Amino acid sequence: MSAYPVPVEPYQPVFVGALKEQLDAVIARYPAKQGALLPALWMVQEARGWISDEAMAEVADLLDTTPAQVKGVVTFYTMYHQHPVGKNFVQVCTTSCCNLCGAEDVVKALLAETGARELGATSPDGKWTVIEVECLGACGFPTPILVNDDFIESVTPERVPELVRKYR
Amino acid sequence: MADVVSLTIDDVPVSVPKGTLLIEAAKQAGVLVPHYCYHPGLPVAGVCRMCLVEVEKAPKLQIACATQVADGMVVRTRSGQAKSGRTGVLELLLINHPLDCPICDQAGECELQDFTFQEGRPASRYSPTYPKRFNPVEDFGPDVLYVPNRCILCTRCVRFMEDVAREPVLNVSERGDRAFIGVHPDAQLDHPWSGNVVDLCPVGSLLSKDFLHKARAWELDKTASVCTGCSQGCNVTLDLRDETVVRIRPRPNLEVNRYFICDHGRANYRWMNRGDRVEAPLVRAGGELKAVDWDEALDRARTILAGAGGSAVALVSPAASTEALYLARKLLGRFAWTGAFEVVMGEEAPLAGVPNLALRAERAPNARGAELLGYGRDYAAALKAAERAAVVLVIDDPDAQFTTSGEVICLGTEVPTGAPLHRSSVVLPVANVAEEDGTFVNRDGRVQRYFQARSAPAMARPAWWVLGQLTDTPPDSAAAAFDALAADVDAFRGLSYAALGLTGLRAAAGAGVPA
Amino acid sequence: MGYPQKPHPKETVVLSEYFGDPEAKTFKGWVKRGGYEALTQALAMDPAAVTEEVKASGLRGRGGAGFPTGLKWTFMPKEKKGPHYLCVNADESEPGTFKDREIMRWTPHALLEGTAIAAHAIRAEVAYIYIRGEFTEPWTVMTRALAEANAAKVFGGITIHLHRGAGAYICGEETALMNSIEGKRGNPRIKPPFPAVAGVFGQPTTINNVETLAAVPHIIKRGSAWYKSLCLSSPKSTGTKLFSVCGQVQKPGNVEVTMGFPLKDVIYEMCGGMRPGRTLKACIPGGSSVPILTREETERCLLDYEGVAEAGSLLGSGGVIVFDDSADMVYQIMRLARFYAHESCAQCTQCREGTAWTTKILERILAGKGQTKDLDLLLDLSDNMTGKTICVLSDSCATPVISGIKKFRSEFEAYITGQRRPVLVA
Repeated sequence: MSAYPVPVEPYQPVFVGALKEQLDAVIARYPAKQGALLPALWMVQEARGWISDEAMAEVADLLDTTPAQVKGVVTFYTMYHQHPVGKNFVQVCTTSCCNLCGAEDVVKALLAETGARELGATSPDGKWTVIEVECLGACGFPTPILVNDDFIESVTPERVPELVRKYR
Repeated sequence: MADVVSLTIDDVPVSVPKGTLLIEAAKQAGVLVPHYCYHPGLPVAGVCRMCLVEVEKAPKLQIACATQVADGMVVRTRSGQAKSGRTGVLELLLINHPLDCPICDQAGECELQDFTFQEGRPASRYSPTYPKRFNPVEDFGPDVLYVPNRCILCTRCVRFMEDVAREPVLNVSERGDRAFIGVHPDAQLDHPWSGNVVDLCPVGSLLSKDFLHKARAWELDKTASVCTGCSQGCNVTLDLRDETVVRIRPRPNLEVNRYFICDHGRANYRWMNRGDRVEAPLVRAGGELKAVDWDEALDRARTILAGAGGSAVALVSPAASTEALYLARKLLGRFAWTGAFEVVMGEEAPLAGVPNLALRAERAPNARGAELLGYGRDYAAALKAAERAAVVLVIDDPDAQFTTSGEVICLGTEVPTGAPLHRSSVVLPVANVAEEDGTFVNRDGRVQRYFQARSAPAMARPAWWVLGQLTDTPPDSAAAAFDALAADVDAFRGLSYAALGLTGLRAAAGAGVPA
Repeated sequence: MGYPQKPHPKETVVLSEYFGDPEAKTFKGWVKRGGYEALTQALAMDPAAVTEEVKASGLRGRGGAGFPTGLKWTFMPKEKKGPHYLCVNADESEPGTFKDREIMRWTPHALLEGTAIAAHAIRAEVAYIYIRGEFTEPWTVMTRALAEANAAKVFGGITIHLHRGAGAYICGEETALMNSIEGKRGNPRIKPPFPAVAGVFGQPTTINNVETLAAVPHIIKRGSAWYKSLCLSSPKSTGTKLFSVCGQVQKPGNVEVTMGFPLKDVIYEMCGGMRPGRTLKACIPGGSSVPILTREETERCLLDYEGVAEAGSLLGSGGVIVFDDSADMVYQIMRLARFYAHESCAQCTQCREGTAWTTKILERILAGKGQTKDLDLLLDLSDNMTGKTICVLSDSCATPVISGIKKFRSEFEAYITGQRRPVLVA
């Protein structure tokens, strides 16, 4: 523990101005406010890169539900980040169909090339986090990966260096 | 009779109202279908999959908690298929469940133990090389601890907070076998009714900090009683270990508290174990109170009463039993008497999901009973009247502040202070709610019995007995005292201990009270 | 064949006609190709008449269950007492399946049109298209297409919304999908109540798969008799199906054939067959949740609901996963079990604990620490996991284990006896 009080930045709400208007439009699509929860969480993640406990409380308040319920939803869906991740968040499918076609080698190549070295860890330069995910629904284009929102098909270990270079 | 359904459960014919769930209908056939997530006080979840039963003509096993009865249904709860389905569930629940029985509070009242003993496998097939899932114990709030390792994810607690308490502060977090019950850091489990999740938890996952490691379930003597925390009159069970009350749990009463009690009532038992009790009858001699035997003390009291005339004042506790209050009134019948009680008030805390259930502002169990018997709430006026009263009868009101020119007879549980101590000619030790049989009348006029859980300390006796001894026709039991009351007071006409049973009855509504 | 291949002459190209054609994604381009005529036609028809036409066509749900679509639509209440909803299941996450993504990213208007027609048939005012979160390209394409279609005001009184998922296979289960749209955890619900009685937001709801709805405009435009005539074997399976062929084949991709087409020809002729020097060992014909077929079974299997059932499996989603003789069946089955363990929602005991335990036992076998009794344990455990839960994810985990041990027992035994070196560390 620090001997001196560490200044904590007060939480800045996400849904102000244009984002608040956007959220209101989304809420209007559903007969119950809670229907807008998944879209709202996506908006938070797009704005901040991850979803903090404070953000969950903010969303809960806007949608007339409780922080506990929002947290239950955030922890259920694997695409929501509860901690900051590397600038490039890489998801590699390794389920059976891609597994048969060398997905695990793609993972190894990515871990090495990005410097992340371990699954789920962020590389020392803060630019990469690589994780294995389940079927990405592109089994005919092995191995598919997601780099943030970019869905890249047919990745092989040979293509990895060029890919990493492009995103770095 | 179109709304009655007839079916057969384990070869026993059963007739129940349409819409009844199989698991409830089975109770009528004397069958308890093993289950975890189902609870009659909570919405159906159907997640534990434990209550699997075989229904003829259905291709798959059905869960009894979510299947409605149908005419002509033939159900087998103990067929080979049903049993093996349940054995399967038990085996799977135990693979991550730690072998904590020796240190787990729930042991002895644990449904996982019970059903495993009944239908589980004798040995585990889970490889000893697999580590069990581990999460550290969490502090959920003022009284509740959560041990995630033991949790079987029945979600009773989540459903209670969401649907009954209407404050959804518990969630299920994560997915798959990584799932656990979670809270958001902003909110603790401090709802005034949140302690119920500990009772609802079928295993030792949600624990009461207050009860932690205090006693083993099999050491406890359980007695039916009524909560003294407020005027709601929730039915409770007192758990005693070695004559000491160690825990209060709710007792089901569909008319009053359903299956729940509030945290205030739950914690309200320590006073029952207080050691600073009046231990022997005391009589003032030579300016000092001396311990004597009952005969002498009662004689002294009779003498005082016989020799007094004019007005009398009774200052009573709103937690005194209805029988005692009745006999006190009878005793003072020949005086111009005023009876009064003072009730501590607090904030009301409703349980939103149950109609007419709340921690009531009036923090006393028998204010209504006292009222029906002619006692009033104008305590200040009674104190004034006491100044010129010939006799002041104090029943379990140890700190009463009054001055009087008359005699004071005090019945007390705790050692009195103030006027009852300095001015009493006679102090008679009486039993508290855990030490006698009696009744309370709740705010809705429901008369409910509480039962004796242990003997009163030292020479203390029930207040109804003490007061009865001072009348001409002392009743020889609490039941007889109540019968006399029922015969004499319109509001209680037709009632008896037998009729009251374990869940009580409404007293006659709008009944007048004789002067 | 689907993008990036050209259609094979033996394919029946209906849904996949414009795969790879960038102009077909635009509203104008779609209209130029005859799009939205069926919708105009349908909107002028009585909803019940639309349902009858789809019923007569024999169209069955293409998501995996194969339930007759027209019949499903008739489950909606006859008397309308409140809003009705249509939910479109674009959560495609069944391993081996990648057809809905192609429909969405190449022919988004086909889906929108089919959605609107279905919504009209079930008298739904609002339709939600639930697209899995990982489908970023289909999401972008569908968003743009929806905006264009809305601007052209083609949908009559029907409003279509896109709803983005966030990474949960279980949300492809119809009741879990509804919970996810409601902003809750994707937990499947116990039935009854059935969606047509009380579905999303408590209102009568129908859920249909993307491929199912993409076929609807064709049925309206060209008639149910035409669709019904597309049938090579069992009369109960009509129309075309996109089969997503993947795994160890030379040319993986989507293949559109008439129901009843031989699986053998799909693998060997259309998808380039095995890699040089390799032979077919096993095939899962309908996505990872259906039983594994041996080579003999695969080669005599006809691709319709009845045909695949006869061969010993299920048509399911039509995700054809091909294993050649170099595939480690035990490892791949373990990887599937791990998939199910990861995706379990955690409600039912059998699934929550059973999927993880199944994975652990298989990992232990692969680590060289297995024993023969483990196979009996796996079979008993799989039996416990079958037919006892709210949804069939639990059964889906058990299926490859049961069929794998039954048909490839020698591969398991090879690890157990030590004949095969361990590939995992315990």
